[in-house]
Amino acid sequence: MRAMRPEWLWLPLFAVPLVLHNEVALTVLVFTFILGILAVSFNLIFGYTGQLSMFHAAAFGISAYATHLSMAHLGVSFWIGMVIAVVLVVAISVVVGTICFRFRLKEFYFAIVTLAFSEMARLVILNWGSFTNGSLGINLTAKPMLWLPGGLVPVQGTRMWYYLALVALILTVFVCARVVHSWMGRSFAAIRLNDELADTLGINVFRYKLISFLVGNAGAAFAGALYAFYLSYVEPGYLSIEQSLAIVAMALLGGREPVAGPILGALVLTALPHVINFSAEVRILVYGLILILTILVLPRGIMGLVTKRRHVL
Amino acid sequence: MLQLVVGQLLNGIIIGTLYGIVALGVTLTFGITGIVNFALGAFMAIGAYVGWYLTDGLGITYPLAVPLAVAVTALIGLLADQSLFRFTRNNLINGLIVSIGLISVVQSVILMIWTTTPKNMHYVLPGVLNLDWFIVPKMKGVVFLVLLAVILSTYAALTRTWAGRAAYAFAQAPEAAMLMGVRTRLLQTGVVVYSTALAGLGGALYASLYSLEVSMGSSYILKGVEAAILAGIGSVMGSLVGGIVLGVTEAIGSLFLPQAYRDAYGLVFLVLILLLRPAGLFGGGR
Repeated sequence: MRAMRPEWLWLPLFAVPLVLHNEVALTVLVFTFILGILAVSFNLIFGYTGQLSMFHAAAFGISAYATHLSMAHLGVSFWIGMVIAVVLVVAISVVVGTICFRFRLKEFYFAIVTLAFSEMARLVILNWGSFTNGSLGINLTAKPMLWLPGGLVPVQGTRMWYYLALVALILTVFVCARVVHSWMGRSFAAIRLNDELADTLGINVFRYKLISFLVGNAGAAFAGALYAFYLSYVEPGYLSIEQSLAIVAMALLGGREPVAGPILGALVLTALPHVINFSAEVRILVYGLILILTILVLPRGIMGLVTKRRHVL
Repeated sequence: MLQLVVGQLLNGIIIGTLYGIVALGVTLTFGITGIVNFALGAFMAIGAYVGWYLTDGLGITYPLAVPLAVAVTALIGLLADQSLFRFTRNNLINGLIVSIGLISVVQSVILMIWTTTPKNMHYVLPGVLNLDWFIVPKMKGVVFLVLLAVILSTYAALTRTWAGRAAYAFAQAPEAAMLMGVRTRLLQTGVVVYSTALAGLGGALYASLYSLEVSMGSSYILKGVEAAILAGIGSVMGSLVGGIVLGVTEAIGSLFLPQAYRDAYGLVFLVLILLLRPAGLFGGGR
């Protein structure tokens, strides 16, 4: 597994905006990177630990709102707001995860209970009008600020967002890869393959499930803050079931391994609808067909075509 | 006040049977093929749109249009089973994703054929039934009775006929059932198609009560899954009771608590049941 660690594959991506001047293509890539963070962090919970969490979109959306609200009401910068949001999401995840894992909810039951919590979060945001503006959502006018050689500058324009999103994605992949290739990752795999056996072998199943859930949701929170401020708009749809399912689709489409695999899923699902100018109906059709064909034709995802079948541990 | 409570109670029971018919499909499909068919919501939409088209578009009388719509839905269900679900037997996650993909495909095809213009046919059976101290729209009463009859006869068929006992046997021990001469492939396909037909019936009846939109099924499939789990997956009469419990919880909950959180009351109830009684209200201990 360590034989192929293609860190250098990231380098050409830094040169892309210098060569490519097509605004649409760059926008697609920015979306791919941010949604890639979402898919990669989801893959930690689902692909590696085997828990089908439906809470990922909720973590994503709660963080988007929390970042904006702490900026608007506490007067902090984007980065501090994002840290507050990540902490909040992790705290909520501790509660949700503890409930689910203490009661040993598995497979479908885990999915349903996390979905229930996710829906409750969405309903609260939808109906807490004074803070969240209900179903209309909020336009975000603030921009993240960065210290660059020229001083403190707001991140705006596709090119700056491209680099910010790319760095954020690399950071996420790096953290996830470190987790997966550590003793934690081996515990995750043991739990995925047979959690009763893992328990017998002395692995604290509850602890590692919770760690995986927390790290994954923290990644989703990171993505949520970036996504909302890139779009300059946040609405309750961030937390919808459709969003949860789209995340599952990206992860499956990309493939579980390597860690960066789900990014390909994010690329195909965001890029394909943009590249060809479909009408709304055809877009939904293509999306559905991609999902079906992935499962029936490419059960190990796109990366499954490239990489050879390896041992899971 | 009492009148209001009774009215909401009745409303909850009637909506609950609609949840129940979807829940029945969920339970049967899960018991026999090991997947949760989320696309049942989409089949409900197919039943509703076809039922509407036959009545409103082609002018076929509604009592005839409903069975026709059910037949069309079942046919599409057979097609889906043979081309898709056949390959995802006993693979929960693959089945889930394929059924979700199917939802998108069905929704887009419906949009292409019938566009988004609002559709309703409240005119099928207007008027209300004014019993002594509560009022029920006539059509709601009819829908309730039809669904109740279908669920009860499904129960009877499962317990009294050879095919029904074969299904139970297969759910308990697939290999043993196969050795006893149960034609398992046929049984699995039959159950998947029957579930889609049930959803189609729910949809065709729904069309006479509410106006149609293409995503109508998504809330019903969620409620159906909730109801099936609430009752304990695998229980036929449980899915009816689970649906009604869910419908009543929501109706009564939104009477005393904020209406906006209507969907949450059922969810809270569901989470509590799953944590405290994982096998569901009527499931045996496992």
